[in-house]
Amino acid sequence: MIKTFLKRQNAVLWIIAVASIALPLLTDNRYYQDIIIMTFLWTGLAASWNLYSGYCARLSIGHAAFLGIGAYAAALLYTNYGISPWVGMIAGGLLAGLVALVIGGSTLRLKGTFFVLATIAFAKIAETFAITAKWITGGSLGVLIPYAPGFINMTWQSKIPYAVLAWVYMLAILAVCVKVEHSRLGYFLRAVGEDREAAENLGVNASKIMLTAFVMSAVFTAFGGSIMAMYVMYIEPTSLMSMTNSVQFILLAIAGGLGTAFGPLAGAYVLVPLTNLMRGNFPSVSGLHGLLLGLILIAVLLYRSSGILPALKGFFEKRRKGDMG
Amino acid sequence: MEQLLQAFFSGILSGGIYALISVGLTLIFGVVGLVNFAHGEFLMLSMYIAYWLYYFTQLEPYETLLINLIIMATVGYIVFKVIMTRVLDADHSVQMLLTLGLSMVLQNLALMLFKADYRNVRTNITTDVINAGFLNLSTARVMAFAVAIAASVALYLFLQKTYTGTAMRAVAQHGRAARLMGINIKKIYGQAFVIGTVLVGLAGVLMSPIYAVFPTIGSNFSTLAFIVVVLGGLSSVPGAILGGLLIGVVESMAGYLLGPVYQQAAYFLLFILVLIFKPSGLFGRE
Repeated sequence: MIKTFLKRQNAVLWIIAVASIALPLLTDNRYYQDIIIMTFLWTGLAASWNLYSGYCARLSIGHAAFLGIGAYAAALLYTNYGISPWVGMIAGGLLAGLVALVIGGSTLRLKGTFFVLATIAFAKIAETFAITAKWITGGSLGVLIPYAPGFINMTWQSKIPYAVLAWVYMLAILAVCVKVEHSRLGYFLRAVGEDREAAENLGVNASKIMLTAFVMSAVFTAFGGSIMAMYVMYIEPTSLMSMTNSVQFILLAIAGGLGTAFGPLAGAYVLVPLTNLMRGNFPSVSGLHGLLLGLILIAVLLYRSSGILPALKGFFEKRRKGDMG
Repeated sequence: MEQLLQAFFSGILSGGIYALISVGLTLIFGVVGLVNFAHGEFLMLSMYIAYWLYYFTQLEPYETLLINLIIMATVGYIVFKVIMTRVLDADHSVQMLLTLGLSMVLQNLALMLFKADYRNVRTNITTDVINAGFLNLSTARVMAFAVAIAASVALYLFLQKTYTGTAMRAVAQHGRAARLMGINIKKIYGQAFVIGTVLVGLAGVLMSPIYAVFPTIGSNFSTLAFIVVVLGGLSSVPGAILGGLLIGVVESMAGYLLGPVYQQAAYFLLFILVLIFKPSGLFGRE
């Protein structure tokens, strides 16, 4: 019974995800379109984060670094060498995957707390590198991407193509997550997340499984970073690779439901518009965005640590039981 | 050579402050088992308190020390009672995210209330310099170093010699066993959290004549303190003191030899290397 319900819930969420492409078409307001694009993008990003940290139950507070790698790869290759951002996006993904392989290979075996601290240090090093390596990255001034509309340049005058791109990105990541969830990799990941030693005793190669998920997560995050850079057309290292951005991944995923394919969708669809609208309505109050993220994070952890989706599921299950009785 | 020595000694002096920030964090981590990401924001808070007390009374931050520490103790107590007690038994990730959320709230609250301006305490002591041979050392820094080391050593003695200190070490070693021996561990947790907060508050007071205060100052120092704590072997107070001094010297020397932009990179690199090759810390026991 619960199984059929779960199936149906996933179907409903698929329909919501696919149908939401109508939203940016329904409005001419560029501000609302911007919020919708950001919602799509962050759904994909949070789902990428969830792929490793959610299923494995191991926290990465450094994913903003992978976001940064993707953003810089696309922006720098395009701005300095005229290489199409589509190619830059692939390059960024490859680079992020390579970095994740090295970082993951040496830190994934660390115990919980140490791993978390290592991910923070990694993000800090990436940020420091972006600021100090001026000859590559342009330093703290960032990168201003020239405006030359055209499909090959991943640049458009209207916001609609960006929305479609972000939507495709989101759907692709969600599809991968659903696929992984019902694959050997997904089952192994959750087994490792619940009890690594027990999983290893049953013959699961935990290090390999974790590294695979970590690299996948990094690559998908970098793809999102490239799209974000080309959409915003400007990169600023300290805000791009900030702790706030790293936390945003986590918040959206855990608010929606950790380790579920559609959890990040639920989290992002509620929180991204909410925080953006608040920021849009009080533009003069700096710090409001971070304050909100922090408060929501605390509230989610203290009161609804299982997230929006599981809470909804519980609600529906109760109702169904009530119907029967 | 003289410049090298000068760099070395200013590294040692900064290292003393890093040590004081880190022993508080070590205490909270060792005893309560909490990775407190809001530690740096407590530092920021104490510096703002010092600044505003100076702004309204024109007194040296040292003179308003007691008021500052009382406020910090109260803040520590309230945060522990209202938030931390709810997650003492929760998963480490939940605790870490919670303190991270708290740090974001405090940091952004400061940004909303005080704007991003740099605020300086300017009293006589801020420009005073002690000349010792060819060395020129700022009085405020020497003062901060002396008090910081004294406070860190006092904490160490407190943990070794007093009944409460011994109880804290027992809880740090094995919580459940300590509870079986009749120690009220919740009370010990609270005391350790408040002491840790007061220590970082003291660091804030000592730093206020040296550094300008701004909303994100805490995050710079808290990552640094985490590095020191890991270098020091996680729950060892002497380790944290040595780790603090080491980071101070590494930072200052890297700044002098390679250029100021590499200061941060140097100690992050050191940190990653230690994590990979000796996760029990440079001064860890295992």
